[in-house]
Amino acid sequence: MLTINKLNAGYGKLQVLYDLSIEVPEKGITVVVGPNGAGKTTLLCSIMGIANVTSGEILFEGGSLQNLPTHLLAKKGISYVPQMKNVFADLSVRDNLQMAGYLLPFDEAKKKAEQMTEMFPVLKKFIDRKAVTLSGGERRMLAVAMGLMKNPKLMLLDELSTDLAPIIAEKVIMEVARLRDELGITILLVEQMAKRALEIGDTAYLLVSGGVKFAGKSLELLNEPELCNMYLGIKQPAAAQTLTEGGA
Amino acid sequence: MAPWLATGLIYASALALTAGGITLLYMSTRTFNFAHASMATLGFYVVYSGAVLGGGVPYKYFPLAFLVGGVLGVICYYGLNRPLLRRGAVEITLMMSTLGYDLILLSVIQMYCDYLTFSRKLFPRRVSMNVFDFELFGVNAASVILPLVAIVFLTGLHLFLVKTKFGVAMRATIENPVLAGASGINSDRVYMSAWIIGGGMAALGGAAMSMAVTGTPVLGMNSIPFMFAGAILGGLHSLYGGILGGFVVGLTEYAGVFYLSQKFGPWVLGYRMGVPLLLMAATLLIFPRGLAGIPWAVLFGNLAGIAGKKRGAKA
Repeated sequence: MLTINKLNAGYGKLQVLYDLSIEVPEKGITVVVGPNGAGKTTLLCSIMGIANVTSGEILFEGGSLQNLPTHLLAKKGISYVPQMKNVFADLSVRDNLQMAGYLLPFDEAKKKAEQMTEMFPVLKKFIDRKAVTLSGGERRMLAVAMGLMKNPKLMLLDELSTDLAPIIAEKVIMEVARLRDELGITILLVEQMAKRALEIGDTAYLLVSGGVKFAGKSLELLNEPELCNMYLGIKQPAAAQTLTEGGA
Repeated sequence: MAPWLATGLIYASALALTAGGITLLYMSTRTFNFAHASMATLGFYVVYSGAVLGGGVPYKYFPLAFLVGGVLGVICYYGLNRPLLRRGAVEITLMMSTLGYDLILLSVIQMYCDYLTFSRKLFPRRVSMNVFDFELFGVNAASVILPLVAIVFLTGLHLFLVKTKFGVAMRATIENPVLAGASGINSDRVYMSAWIIGGGMAALGGAAMSMAVTGTPVLGMNSIPFMFAGAILGGLHSLYGGILGGFVVGLTEYAGVFYLSQKFGPWVLGYRMGVPLLLMAATLLIFPRGLAGIPWAVLFGNLAGIAGKKRGAKA
């Protein structure tokens, strides 16, 4: 669905990604993990036209995304949930959902917002409250709901678990698996909580210093003790095998 | 109503509009718009030209002044602001570019005044718009109509920003342009709209101001420090703060200083320009985020609590 070939990108004169190539297959979760500064967020920013792409190509359903303004990517069915500032803090939850469904006709947006409040009941409770008053976990739920408002074909999720209590982070990651399983959405997930993300993922890329260090199945990466220990801080990669056998 | 208070209200309403426009443009495109000065002056000349050449009351030309201001805003956005923003210009560059635009507009104003002077045999360089006004409820119509115009316009603007989809999209883009873009909102269209409204507010404010002070080609240039003072007093990050800041600065500059001169003597009038700036400085020392940073709800809650206790003690 999304193909990135030999991408070189960064911010201003600072180059972050070097000849990076990845492939995001349809209706699966592609997990991108790696240490801080590896270029994970820059990868998503390059897709969204926020970072400067100096060379390479980004293809979505066969068409190039380069030089397209960000708002046109939403029209193509790409939804982006940034790591920080992923809700409009000064707007109510209702207005946040309305803005996320900006491209939808009024009735459809209203119906979709109702679906989202059913899917994430906590949002219904705080529908008229400003997003700034929500807790970290509630904000992430709102951010994901906003991402879903556009009926996306592809969702780019950037470190949903950052700054969340482990139990909430776990819940948020499981919601991502639900998006794939129940709604059939293709997901490109960038995540610091690498172990859990790889457990729910289908395909994985390990990014190190702006390049791909590993590409393959998610569980295969979990079974690479050296890479897991060195770059992801995962001490017991064998756990993944147990989980797979257990029917996860 | 005392004439000085009536004129003070007109002036304050005008500054509320212009300071609101400055705040809107700063919030949306990080630009301190110095061209607000000449946009305001052009607003005055639109109304003056309409009243002199077209006839009738000046107020009927106010919508035209707003439109002209909006067009000037669009020219500034597409001609200067947008190309500079796309090149990642810093705030000082953006500000200086509007100063250049202001000088161009000032030249246009001077040329237009020459045209009116030599071809139309008018005296456009020193105009008292009061001669075109009429009496309403025993006072100058301007002191009733203009505060009302400001209230109606600002209420309309508030409803637009809160109740309409595009208005909410404007607020969303101002707060978080990246997320707004990812939501499908065309930020370019939002910024252009901000310049239409901001430019329109400048011209409308200038037109209103000319009903309180003598209209000259440097009407806006003389008032620009107070427009900025109002916007800064409001905190720069709140449209409502900017509007309130402009109103407070305008009322202090005109009505406040006049009132003080009656109490302490005419020497106070010499400090007319200093008093509102002093007020701004004092307010920012206590509330660094300006009027918008004052916890009004807590303040009113405390006052209500104190009043309640007093009532309880009396009972």
